[in-house]
Amino acid sequence: MTGRLEGTRCLVTGGSRGLGRELCLAFAREGARVAFTFRRREADAEDTTLRLRALGCEPQCFQGDVADGAHAQAVVGALTRAWGGLDVLVNNAGVQHVVPLALLEEPDWDLMLNTCLKGPYLFSRAALRGMIRARKGTILNVGVFSSERIVEAPAHYAAAKAGLRGLTDALAREVGRHGVRVNMLSPGLLDVGLGRMLMPHRVEEYRAQAALGRTGTAEEVARMAVFLVSDENTFMTGARVTPDGGL
Amino acid sequence: MGALLHPTTSLCRTCKRALPALVEAREDRSVWLSKSCPEHGAQSVRLSTDAAWYAATRAVKPVASAPRRTPRPVHFGCPFDCGACAQHGQKVRLPVVTITSACNLDCPICYVYNKNDGTWHMDVAAFRRILQHLKDDLGEVDIVNFTGGEPFLHPEFMTFLEVARDAGVHRVTICSNGLFLAKNEPLVKRLGELGARVALSFDTFDPQTDVVLQGSRLVEAKLRALDLTEKYNVDVTLIPVMTKGMNDHEVGAILRMAMERPNVRHVELHTITYTGQGGTHFDPSRSGRISMVEVLDRIAETTHGWLTREDFVSSPCAHPLCYQIAYLLLDPDGGPPVPFTRFMPREALYACLAERLYLEPSRALEDALQDAMDRLWVSDEPEAERTLKILRQLLGALFPRDRVITREEALRAAERASKAVYVHSHMDEDTFDVERLAQCCDSNCAEDGTTIPVCAYNVLYKEKEAEFMAAPRSWGERSGDVKLRRLAVLA
Ligand code: SF4
Ligand SMILES: [Zn+2]
Repeated sequence: MTGRLEGTRCLVTGGSRGLGRELCLAFAREGARVAFTFRRREADAEDTTLRLRALGCEPQCFQGDVADGAHAQAVVGALTRAWGGLDVLVNNAGVQHVVPLALLEEPDWDLMLNTCLKGPYLFSRAALRGMIRARKGTILNVGVFSSERIVEAPAHYAAAKAGLRGLTDALAREVGRHGVRVNMLSPGLLDVGLGRMLMPHRVEEYRAQAALGRTGTAEEVARMAVFLVSDENTFMTGARVTPDGGL
Repeated sequence: MGALLHPTTSLCRTCKRALPALVEAREDRSVWLSKSCPEHGAQSVRLSTDAAWYAATRAVKPVASAPRRTPRPVHFGCPFDCGACAQHGQKVRLPVVTITSACNLDCPICYVYNKNDGTWHMDVAAFRRILQHLKDDLGEVDIVNFTGGEPFLHPEFMTFLEVARDAGVHRVTICSNGLFLAKNEPLVKRLGELGARVALSFDTFDPQTDVVLQGSRLVEAKLRALDLTEKYNVDVTLIPVMTKGMNDHEVGAILRMAMERPNVRHVELHTITYTGQGGTHFDPSRSGRISMVEVLDRIAETTHGWLTREDFVSSPCAHPLCYQIAYLLLDPDGGPPVPFTRFMPREALYACLAERLYLEPSRALEDALQDAMDRLWVSDEPEAERTLKILRQLLGALFPRDRVITREEALRAAERASKAVYVHSHMDEDTFDVERLAQCCDSNCAEDGTTIPVCAYNVLYKEKEAEFMAAPRSWGERSGDVKLRRLAVLA
């Protein structure tokens, strides 16, 4: 049986842990070729690599800051040389930073906006050259987290997320005529990342509000992502998909 | 005669018969409880040195939270129907389980009745039944406190811990004098692995005082126990019993040590009670008696004001005169700790304590902290900036940017960022006040499902149990057929 992403060339930013890692694994299971980036966590990146190998996938792995334009160029350039192009870009790298305005300093703002907004712009621009030339490709932007957090939706996070939505909409419109689709996936509280750190009463609140009465798993969100980036998804672009258990 | 504050029911200090009593404020602002036994005559005791504080504190209404199950009928009237009866105002928030009568000390101030010859140990099956009763009553059992005697002397002590853990009890605390721990490093290590907490009695740094209060020199052993618990990451609550003229001047030093030692989470200051096998005969003049507000003021003096009476609130889960609680935020840069009341209104702290005797992360706490951060941010006071910086570091520890931590690690980081100071005022026969008793959330739990407020247990009920008393007193002897509720209504 062949996978739903057989031979598809995928790049996931921030793929060393959490949802990013789960996306890499899900893509590999469906037969994709997988590359991922990470910033600091070498041990986690190594772990992700080993897990991908166990699935029979030899990943490409790049260390760097998504907000660094040279890094974005280098990654896409290396993949183009190695694979001859790129079919899927997932802008997943994010920052977990929970802070009220009173404590929100300029470096916090810059880090958040750079990672969650400038990063997707840089990687999308680098990847789109090849996609437009090939008249094929898809970009998936991952909305970092929902607003369930210790102090509701920190301003820099909300701003970055709103910006990413704008970027998704604008790019979808702009590159649709070249056959490239751009979508956004905004999962609810999951068993990875913030969902593992939040205080129990927060998780309880989430469960109480969600129609399905539970938090999600990275694995089920990754399954959704597989569909979104696959060729089965032929008519959806500029869309926001929110697997959140029905908030 | 002074101004009547309120009537209540108390006990005769000799025969423990229930007596109508009056609480009055005198000209010098002190508060006295007076009663008269037909057999043993008039008795009175000073409850407080500050009538205004007493009245204002007593006016705080606890959150109504009656027990779900009340196995005992209202028959004799409070305090003779414990179990609990339908008049009781609070469910159990701190279940206390007495697992042994054995003790390796014979403290002059001991307020419980224990006998060391012919020791009694609870069997594990009985504890299982207690847990089941608690689960039925409370839904989930958040915390269990083992006491004795010296609980570590129970030959099956570890099994009790494991049973509690397997039943999903989040916090297990063990009252101890620390001697056994000081000599038993592997035990401390195991406690650390099981996440158990120790409530360590710690009255003084002064060897002389030690001999008077505890009958021997224990300071070194207690400090050794503290070192070991620190080594193995065992959280500790220090329990100093405050006695006027003996160790009340040391409270600042004890609090400072508590702030400095990372594994000391809480200090629970008790006021001395003259009951139990030691307390009844210790210091016949009872000159060491100290009231809650005096302890609060002694704290302010000996800490040079980094902690004052305004920093304390009553517990909403108990009678307001039973617990005073202050929370302090630690300064990672070494500055003095900052009481929560310096950055949030006392009402907000009070509200955050509505569910438990201690703070847990909750929506109310989050909102209070968010308000605090905004207020500190817009303030021009120099302390505001320091406090804001501490809160920023705390958030950084809860949501580190360079790694993912588990919820347990986050909870621990939150806990380690602050400390609590409690003043807990137990009652003896002299100070016994059924108004307070009926709002007690601190109960001794028995195998048959009864839960008895610890003050009633220590003063009245424990005597009933042959395990603890060589010659148990007959029960009906004191209360007889007298309907004591009627006695409380004064002519
Ligand atoms: S203390 Fe509570 S349970 Fe005991 S007799 Fe009084 S009201 Fe009843
Ligand atoms: Zn009498």
